[in-house]
Amino acid sequence: MSAGPYNYSYIFKYIIIGDMGVGKSCLLHQFTEKKFMADCPHTIGVEFGTRIIEVSGQKIKLQIWDTAGQERFRAVTRSYYRGAAGALMVYDITRRSTYNHLSSWLTDTRNLTNPSTVIFLIGNKCDLEGQRDVTYEEASKFAEENGLMFVEASAKTGDNVEEAFLETAKKIYQSIQDGRLDLNAAESGVQHKPSQPGGRPGSAAGGDQSGRDNCAC
Amino acid sequence: MYATKQPSLRIKQADLKCKNGCGYFGNADWEGYCSKCYRNHMDKERQRKSNQSQHGDHSKATSFSKFEEKKRQQSDKKTKYFLPVFRKPSSLKETGRPEKYIDIRQMNPDADKLLAEFISAYGEWGEAVRKDFLKCVHSFTSKIIHELDFKSADELADIAQNYYNSYNNRLNNNTVYQNVTPDVRDKLLDFFERYSMVGLYTFLFCPPSTNDEDKDLSIQDRIRKLSWVNAHHLDCCISETSIEVRDLVYTAINDLLGMDSMKAPQEKLACVVRCCRSVVEVLQHCQGGPVSADEFLPALIFIVLKANPARLKSNMLYVTRFCYGARLMQGEAGYYFTNLCCAVSFIENLTAESLNMAQQEFEAYMSGEVTCVSAWESALVACEGMHQLCEHLSLLKGLSERMSAVKDDTQKLKDDMRKLKEEINDEVTSVLERTPLVIKPRKTIFPLTMEFLKSLPPLPEKPPIPDKGKEVEINQDVDTAPKFYQQNITLTQMGLSDNKPKLQLDITPCVNLPSASVVKPSLSTDFLSVPSPAADKSIESITPDDNSYLGLSKINYDIDFSDISAENSIIEDLGESRRSPTMSFTPDPFSPMGTGCPIMQSPLVPSAAEMPRVEVPPVRKNDFVLPFLEEIEKEDTKKETLLDKVEETPTICLPPPIKPTEYTGFSKQGSRIPSIPCNTGDVSSLNLQQSAGSSKDTN
Repeated sequence: MSAGPYNYSYIFKYIIIGDMGVGKSCLLHQFTEKKFMADCPHTIGVEFGTRIIEVSGQKIKLQIWDTAGQERFRAVTRSYYRGAAGALMVYDITRRSTYNHLSSWLTDTRNLTNPSTVIFLIGNKCDLEGQRDVTYEEASKFAEENGLMFVEASAKTGDNVEEAFLETAKKIYQSIQDGRLDLNAAESGVQHKPSQPGGRPGSAAGGDQSGRDNCAC
Repeated sequence: MYATKQPSLRIKQADLKCKNGCGYFGNADWEGYCSKCYRNHMDKERQRKSNQSQHGDHSKATSFSKFEEKKRQQSDKKTKYFLPVFRKPSSLKETGRPEKYIDIRQMNPDADKLLAEFISAYGEWGEAVRKDFLKCVHSFTSKIIHELDFKSADELADIAQNYYNSYNNRLNNNTVYQNVTPDVRDKLLDFFERYSMVGLYTFLFCPPSTNDEDKDLSIQDRIRKLSWVNAHHLDCCISETSIEVRDLVYTAINDLLGMDSMKAPQEKLACVVRCCRSVVEVLQHCQGGPVSADEFLPALIFIVLKANPARLKSNMLYVTRFCYGARLMQGEAGYYFTNLCCAVSFIENLTAESLNMAQQEFEAYMSGEVTCVSAWESALVACEGMHQLCEHLSLLKGLSERMSAVKDDTQKLKDDMRKLKEEINDEVTSVLERTPLVIKPRKTIFPLTMEFLKSLPPLPEKPPIPDKGKEVEINQDVDTAPKFYQQNITLTQMGLSDNKPKLQLDITPCVNLPSASVVKPSLSTDFLSVPSPAADKSIESITPDDNSYLGLSKINYDIDFSDISAENSIIEDLGESRRSPTMSFTPDPFSPMGTGCPIMQSPLVPSAAEMPRVEVPPVRKNDFVLPFLEEIEKEDTKKETLLDKVEETPTICLPPPIKPTEYTGFSKQGSRIPSIPCNTGDVSSLNLQQSAGSSKDTN
């Protein structure tokens, strides 16, 4: 990554949730590496990714946690949600079942995150228009009803992927600006480094000092 | 307390009074004080206790808290060790700390190492940074140790988190750290946590106030019970049988197991991260592509199940409590640790449903009713087998090398032996050629028959020695038999032509022949005649001798053969009638009697009965021996001379030859020798007579 590890003021934690096989990892990979995962056979793991973005002139480090989508792990993946500032809820537009499960995912997210957590609905695989099983309108309506942000994206082509992540970040940042998000709350999912020019931007979580490995392609 | 009262039955007035001497009556329940004084006393006591605890003087404090747990008392004793620290909590600066250093070192041998590491890593930021760092560490550790007995693990965790945060703030705001770069500040925070936690590890890891240990045991038991779960059950693509995958899985398991040996939470986290990276590698190897969380979590569960790490729960709780909170919720370490928590919690709550199997089946597995030989186990077994196989193969290789060496040596030895044998053979043959060995045994036998020797002049020895020796050597092969016959024949012919004197000669050659093969044929042929009823007549005369010993000297039978032509003719007739069989038999007669006899007997009987006695032995004999003669005749030219000599020599010693011949005969027959003397004498005489008679008959 071009940006140094300390050139950011905030760290946002995202989680990507959704049924198995909806393309969570591909979205993550597309966002962090700007490549479709299937085209990168040498990529080792993309279950955890970071990328620094810029929102309103503020550099923000996004840490994205991929999660296991199997129903059987649903009960135990609770700790994933801890301290997430943003949740990307993904379904596959070519598989209706993944869309039908959204409500349970949403329930989990609402229950396990703080109220200020931004939830973003992504209908993945929009490049497969021919196999579409869930209409845009239907999903859009669902998002509206639940107060979610919504976009249809394609991890393969990269359409709207960047947008989804950035919009979420903007929303979170806005919450911070609005004071809706308490930075001092233990599980806000946001870490703020009081950015002070001259090299005293404060501390960040030290665990991840190096960005995610670059794609080997 | 009570002890003061109990011993004395009579209670004195003074004893009933308040111990304080206030004049009021005291009460045993109030420790001998009056109610007012007791209250005062208790207040004082309480105050003292609080003072003591503040000073860490727990030895007295514990005496008041009778109901405290044993464990806690033990830990009290531990903490008592750090008394000096608590007495001067405020004076933790440079001068007040020598004792503290010792304590830290004693409770943690790694502290020195860590300090050295700190100096080498952050020494460049100056003495002030180091001092402040150590000051904070000590204030943190002493605070924790101070609160150890009064706070639950979670409260301690809160204290720790507060300290982390305050140190983090200090790093960012204190002027001491003004010049320190941000990344070093992060590292300092890390090091702060590490340094403190390494020191406090013994107190904070699996503290006695918690039931972490029980949790450890229960999850361990649980994982043990779930040992039958395989990758397939978890829908995990780990191919348990592949060697490369297995190695990677082992790496992952080792990383996870390493967690227990680390002391600082972040070190434990690092182990988890390493393990998870190995798992990702495993998955990438198995599915040949990028790995997503959907595949990762089941794989991690599989690894946890196979690893069954020691004190898993304690480790996880320790990390959760005392790792800097921000790190647990963010960053790669946090992510992987979260996954581990998920995996463990999945294992704890694992049901038939979560494994996609029937409840009954699940219960059967869990109760051990059904034992499932999982691919993993069998792979392990196979692996073990392979390992052993390899070991054995290398062993076998070594053995085969040694074997081949041994073989070579053996071959060498064989060659040497063969050479030696050849040499010896050559030597022996040369020696045999040089010295006529054959006769020598005769000499040895002489002593046995000394009686005869005494009576007889030693003449016979000399003549046969050169002749027979040579003859035997020459004839030892097939020739001997024909020779013998030839001799017989020639002799008989001679006997026929000549009279008694020649007959005697006739005996000697055949008897003289030292080799059994030569002698026996005559016997066998004779024996053939013996059992046959037709021959009985002729034998009847000899029967006495026969009875004494079947193997009687051939001489007798030779004589029978040659002389009693009338009887022998029967055999020869047989030979005639069934020439072809007899021809085949002819060599047999030269073989030991045992073989020769039975073969001939049965056919002989009937034929002999039928056949009329022909009394033309000489002609017949020639016929019978013809095949041999034909061969011999070629050699005859050479051997004739020998034979002649043979014949000649006995002629010289006409009177004695009978006896020496007998010896040889017996020597061949071994054990029967002792009985020889008496019989031989008779037999020889008989033979002589018979031969004379027969010769006469033939004539």
